[in-house]
Amino acid sequence: MIRRFLRRTRARLHALAVPVAPYRVPVAVLGALLVVVGSWSPWATFSGFAGKMTLAYPGGARLYTLVLAAAVALAFVPLRGRRVAGEIAGLGCLGLALLTTLAIAKEGGGLVNVAWGAWVTIVGAVLLLLSLLSLPEEEGDEPARLPDGPAFGQLVGVLAILVTALVVVVEGLEIPSAGQFLAYLAFLGLLAAAAAKLGVFEWLQRAAERHRMITLTAALLAAAAFPFTQDGSNEWVRVGCSVGVFAAAAVGLNIVVGLAGLLDLGYIAFFGVGAYVGASLSGSPDSNVRLNLVFLVVIAVGAIFAAVLGVLIGAPTLRLRGDYLAIVTLGFGEIFRIAANNLDGFAGPKLTNGPNGIPRVPNLNLFGFDFGESHELFGITLGYFANYFFAELVLLAFVILAFVRLNNSRIGRAWVAIREDETAASAMGINTVNMKLLAFAIGAFLAGAAGTLNAHVTTQVSPDSYRFDESVLLLAAVVLGGMGTIGGAILGSTLLLVLPEKLRFFQEKRILVFGIALILMMRFRPEGIVPNRRRQREFHDDLSGADATSAPPGAPVVST
Amino acid sequence: MPPRARKSAATPPPEPQRPVVQLGEVVLEASSVTKRFGGLTAVSAVDFVVHEREIVGLIGPNGAGKTTFFNCLTGMETPTEGRVVYRGRTLTGKPHEITQLGLARTFQNIRLFPNMTALENVLVGRHCRTKTGVFAAVTRVPFFHQEERESDKRARELLDFVNLGRSADLLAKNLPYGDQRRLEIARALATDPGLLLLDEPTAGMNPQETTAAMNLVRKIRDNGLAVVVIEHDMKFIFNLCDRVAVLVQGKKLVEGTPAEVQADPRVVEAYLGTPATGEAS
Repeated sequence: MIRRFLRRTRARLHALAVPVAPYRVPVAVLGALLVVVGSWSPWATFSGFAGKMTLAYPGGARLYTLVLAAAVALAFVPLRGRRVAGEIAGLGCLGLALLTTLAIAKEGGGLVNVAWGAWVTIVGAVLLLLSLLSLPEEEGDEPARLPDGPAFGQLVGVLAILVTALVVVVEGLEIPSAGQFLAYLAFLGLLAAAAAKLGVFEWLQRAAERHRMITLTAALLAAAAFPFTQDGSNEWVRVGCSVGVFAAAAVGLNIVVGLAGLLDLGYIAFFGVGAYVGASLSGSPDSNVRLNLVFLVVIAVGAIFAAVLGVLIGAPTLRLRGDYLAIVTLGFGEIFRIAANNLDGFAGPKLTNGPNGIPRVPNLNLFGFDFGESHELFGITLGYFANYFFAELVLLAFVILAFVRLNNSRIGRAWVAIREDETAASAMGINTVNMKLLAFAIGAFLAGAAGTLNAHVTTQVSPDSYRFDESVLLLAAVVLGGMGTIGGAILGSTLLLVLPEKLRFFQEKRILVFGIALILMMRFRPEGIVPNRRRQREFHDDLSGADATSAPPGAPVVST
Repeated sequence: MPPRARKSAATPPPEPQRPVVQLGEVVLEASSVTKRFGGLTAVSAVDFVVHEREIVGLIGPNGAGKTTFFNCLTGMETPTEGRVVYRGRTLTGKPHEITQLGLARTFQNIRLFPNMTALENVLVGRHCRTKTGVFAAVTRVPFFHQEERESDKRARELLDFVNLGRSADLLAKNLPYGDQRRLEIARALATDPGLLLLDEPTAGMNPQETTAAMNLVRKIRDNGLAVVVIEHDMKFIFNLCDRVAVLVQGKKLVEGTPAEVQADPRVVEAYLGTPATGEAS
């Protein structure tokens, strides 16, 4: 129904623009000129609005409208999907200009406080849009399939997008006001949507698959460059650490949910087990285990302990299917939290200190390298959280490697087969119970490892950090980002953790906002932001045939 | 008597002398297999033998218990009574264990892995004949690559064998119906079976496809496998099979060469009912 409404509205707008058709090019040029002029002119009569709106240079929202207006030129590129891409950019340009104008009016106390630059931009954007809408209807309008081009070009493309991502993140984090950050997000989203309509991301995905190891390495290097941009400040590197841990757990969960198709609602418990093991064996003065092992041993112990628990939980429950399994895992998550709350020496053995948890987990010290100190590298000061950030990256790299390699092996194929049709899988000689147990155990293993490291990052563990909410949030990260893909799990984790930090006003309502986002996602893009190609075809039958037949022979369909 | 007349006309010239007597070793022996669901006896004391390099047909009206019998053979159902012996070993375990022993099957309603490519579907069939573990998969030791290469080679051979070599990278669900049936056979063959059980392999196929399927089954037999096939297409059954068993209401009614079964009045009766007495003259 919503789609039909949108289609009809679009048709009406097109009808409206028909008279413009003969003067399409002059109108577009005029509109573009107006936007350029507008972006170089003051938008507000008072100072204090984010983005230096009184000055005559494009800052803040004015820059975004300028770039989006430039992106409208995409509509004149001879590619399939260009019209939709142009429309998105044009609509975005107009929408951003209008919203900014309204925000200025609200802050200044009336429309009189909106300076002429804003009005010029709005008029320009409307003209641009009109000229776009008058473009003739084209066949399909579905995303183009860009030619792959030479391997070198693909590599350049992948590297360029990684550098862009780093710049985009660093720039975004520096934006002080929430409103402007929202405008920034909208701007990025619109650009990305326009690019997606041109098939840019599919091209990138294919390129990344072809050069998997190079892409992975480059992505890690780009991530490792992040602390160097922070001038020794710990603020965002600390958030980066949380993202890293969360992402590692999410990729692990992706094995269980995305590959094997087992809905695990108590996954955070394995993470918690690892964290408790890490804290207990760290030599914290509050730990009840008088053991202080080398961290590399501790992380192995934490991971293995979690995996063993996973097998113990899984063995009786993995004979269940679907919903039953979800309920049992949910129950297990609660059991873990309540047990951690009660193993305080009164209700049970003294292990976890009950609700107090284990505080004062010392900083890591690996081979004499103290993680609690700032360091200077290449003349740039790095806050001590950078040390943990690099450790997270190593862990994440390991988790990703495990995911990719298992996925592209007989084990990964067996998991997917079980997800697709358990009965047929078992008739094809797959020991379904064992393979499901294996998925469960490996997921728990990775979560345990991430938890062990996290105990040192947060310097304390307490039962309240491992509530059901956190399991749901992890699952939301996986689903939002895209099931069965690594990029999806990482993007989902980043969004779920960075947005609440950046947008303080929505921190309390974050569960609500994510809930709404998930519902919208399920309605309009069930495969997630970064779709697994296999999943995308599953949900959108219409583009399956063409895509499949034109796939180059031998191209792996398994997405990373 | 139109039915009889039509049938004999459709039968090809007398069987080329197939040496029915020189049967190979017994591959599968089911003795008095019975399956009850509550009060319903779906399969009742069926004895069934398959010899090496033999194509055996299993026919019977709808609801006769053919598929249930298949399920009992492959471990998807546990027989209430009776036992199944494959090459001297009693089959008791789960489906995957029986597949590992060498029985592979296809399904009446196609059960491919719809969102995997044709090649991946066949590779899944290789699962039980390969050994790579988690450690080898993550560390990518040389053994992993070697096994993966072998699996890939074998899977592509099998795709070529069923004439799907060019569809290797298409998703199973996007294949035409007939191709899906053949892909299911390739996937079953990938488990290196000694006995292949086909549940209505030509359902929904046109005559050309049916002929091709017939040749495919012969080719499979010539490669040394025994085949049991459930089918409703009588032309297919009587042209292809060395022996035919008729299952009616869970019981084995007749068993014999296609000619014997065709000539048996009880079979006609089971399919078409008894002629009304008045018309008999």
